[in-house]
Amino acid sequence: MEIKYPDVLLDSLENGHMIIDDKFIVSYWNRWLAINTQISKEEIIGKKLDEFYPNINYKVLYRKIKTALLINTPSFYDTNSNVKFIPMNRNKVTTSSLMLMQQQVTISPYIACENKVMVSIYDISELFEAKLSLKKEIEKVNKLNDKLEADQEIIDRNIMMMRTSFDGVIIDVSTFFCQFFEFKKDFILGKNISTFKQDGGFSATYKELWETIRNKKCWSGELKLKTYKGEEKWVQSRITPILDIDGEVLEFSAVYHDITNEKLLEELYITDPLTKLYNRAHFDEVVNFIVKHQRKTDTDFVLVITDIDHFKSINDTYGHQIGDEALVSVANTLKDSLREDDLIARWGGEEFVIMLKNVTLDEAKTIIEKVRASVEKNKINGTINATASFGITKYILGEDIKKTFKRVDDALYEAKKSGRNRAVLK
Amino acid sequence: MNLEFNEDQIDALREFMNVSIGAATANLANLLDAFGTMHIPKIEICNSSELSQKIESTIDIGSMYYATKQLFTGKFGGECMFIISEESARNLGRHLYNATTPSRDDISDAVIELTNILTSTIVSRLTQELDTQVQFFVPSSQFIDAHSIVNSEDVADYSKIIIISTILDFKDQKINGNIYILTKDEAIKSLKILIDKKIEEIYG
Amino acid sequence: MKILIVDDSKIGRMSVIKSLKIVKPDAELFQAANGLEAVEIFKEEKPHVVFLDLTMPVMDGYEALKHIMSIDKEAQVIVVSADIQSEAKLRVLVAGAKNMYPKPINDEKMLQIFEQDLLL
Repeated sequence: MEIKYPDVLLDSLENGHMIIDDKFIVSYWNRWLAINTQISKEEIIGKKLDEFYPNINYKVLYRKIKTALLINTPSFYDTNSNVKFIPMNRNKVTTSSLMLMQQQVTISPYIACENKVMVSIYDISELFEAKLSLKKEIEKVNKLNDKLEADQEIIDRNIMMMRTSFDGVIIDVSTFFCQFFEFKKDFILGKNISTFKQDGGFSATYKELWETIRNKKCWSGELKLKTYKGEEKWVQSRITPILDIDGEVLEFSAVYHDITNEKLLEELYITDPLTKLYNRAHFDEVVNFIVKHQRKTDTDFVLVITDIDHFKSINDTYGHQIGDEALVSVANTLKDSLREDDLIARWGGEEFVIMLKNVTLDEAKTIIEKVRASVEKNKINGTINATASFGITKYILGEDIKKTFKRVDDALYEAKKSGRNRAVLK
Repeated sequence: MNLEFNEDQIDALREFMNVSIGAATANLANLLDAFGTMHIPKIEICNSSELSQKIESTIDIGSMYYATKQLFTGKFGGECMFIISEESARNLGRHLYNATTPSRDDISDAVIELTNILTSTIVSRLTQELDTQVQFFVPSSQFIDAHSIVNSEDVADYSKIIIISTILDFKDQKINGNIYILTKDEAIKSLKILIDKKIEEIYG
Repeated sequence: MKILIVDDSKIGRMSVIKSLKIVKPDAELFQAANGLEAVEIFKEEKPHVVFLDLTMPVMDGYEALKHIMSIDKEAQVIVVSADIQSEAKLRVLVAGAKNMYPKPINDEKMLQIFEQDLLL
């Protein structure tokens, strides 16, 4: 019986179809197979498949044929295996990871009474390649993820970081932050950032910080924070606002770096060890900076020099220790009676220098008169009276600082000469 | 149409599936040249979201599995899933390939063959009764842990899924696995119509 | 005549009963939903014929068959099962069943059972 139409149909298909029986004798071989195997219909029909392809697992193939015939639906040959059914070269030159065609082999029942089945071979190389490359990509992504996780862990353990909501509620902190500030993470989360601020966050620094980040800009600077146990820590901070898609502040992210030790060293370097006031070197540096830059806000100041009266005789009468106590006592009086913004330094021996900011000479005179009275009132070691003389002058815009110092020295000299325990204005 | 089944309908569906599974077991017994103990099939109708939990509740969470899924499409379309533990699968590979240490490929091929026979026999019988045709696709097998068999996020969003499950049990060969036939909305309707017809025939 | 029909499925029992009504319309019918119930009823009623399913909860058909045969070695048991393995048939015949039929049973088969398999 010759059926023409199925031939046309089967030959036009882009996959292989053969008809074999349970003894593997080929009774049909379509055009696709002939092209891809280089074995013509005429060569193979009537012969056994194993003469041409001895490497097929015929035991398995036999079973599959039997199964297909038994259940009267297709069975499938070796769908997962790397072993090819009929090896066929792929002719793809570019972007191919497969040399041989990846095949899907379906065995469909054909004529059950003759034990005949149709074996269909589908080229699934493209699909297989896509799967392979997908697998490769997934592996890559997994590897990256692992690395990212490891990095994150390192960051978490070694860098102080915090995320807060726009109104300062803490959303997340790194492990290192918690260790450094001796807080439990659970304790911190949900609290307001002001928990850490040394002075409740009212100083000029915090005002500037909030203004900057509220205006959606980054802020960098040094902050003094306190640990759970109340210890003061200095941190170099960088606070970045995170904006939502509408450009509104959603959160803040902050990175901190501990600079407490540097701060301590710096303080040591500019502090007079006895009185804990700034030392002369620091005062010089500040004054020179101001004079050099001549910024309007800085140059409006009054310079004061004060000297403890009869200090030598205090030293001689009561000994050096009391002398030192006198110095510390006067230093503390100065500190206590002046503003925080005023710069006070030990100028040398029993002399102190003061920079009063943004005051007129008259105002300075009033301030210093109060200071003088305080010094006079405070007894050193509870018994000894000490007084001090003061020279006062105003820095004139653009003038050489030496001139200012000369004037203030003259004023002090005059105060001493005219009876001590007084302030003279020049 | 209401997708719920009443007690009589469940009973009839279970009995009908039992006969189909009987045919499948016989075909497998033929392939394996062994005797399979039949178990009562379980019928469950659940929401898509419950599927993974239902399947996980029937297997040992700690083991690795060969999970083979085979799709069948047509008016009565769905998925047949055969889940077999690593050890059972190795026994199957050993038995089918006559090898002491079957390769991963051998095992995989064996479970695919089993799945194909199961799906084909069970579904063919159903579709014969429903007077419709289905196309079977190549089963694909994965070697995975219990949690990965069904990923809840990947389950297609159908209003109802019907799970027909039973145990494949070849005691002497130490081969046993779980069979699940999963189908949804449209197919559940056809099943219900078929079942009602059967009930009508018997109860008159 | 007393006939006991054992199947966990109601429709399974009804399908047997349907054919019985035609072939043996006068029979007195008893039903059991598992092997254990079947054995109890068998003891009590001494039915002439038992139609027995195999896969059942509580006690399966193989077990029930054993018990029934030990109660009465002349018991007339026909197994009706979805299990169509030849091995299954062999097992129940060895255990004493008169014959085994695949589900479902139709009138024609029922007639054949009463004509060929049963000694009544």
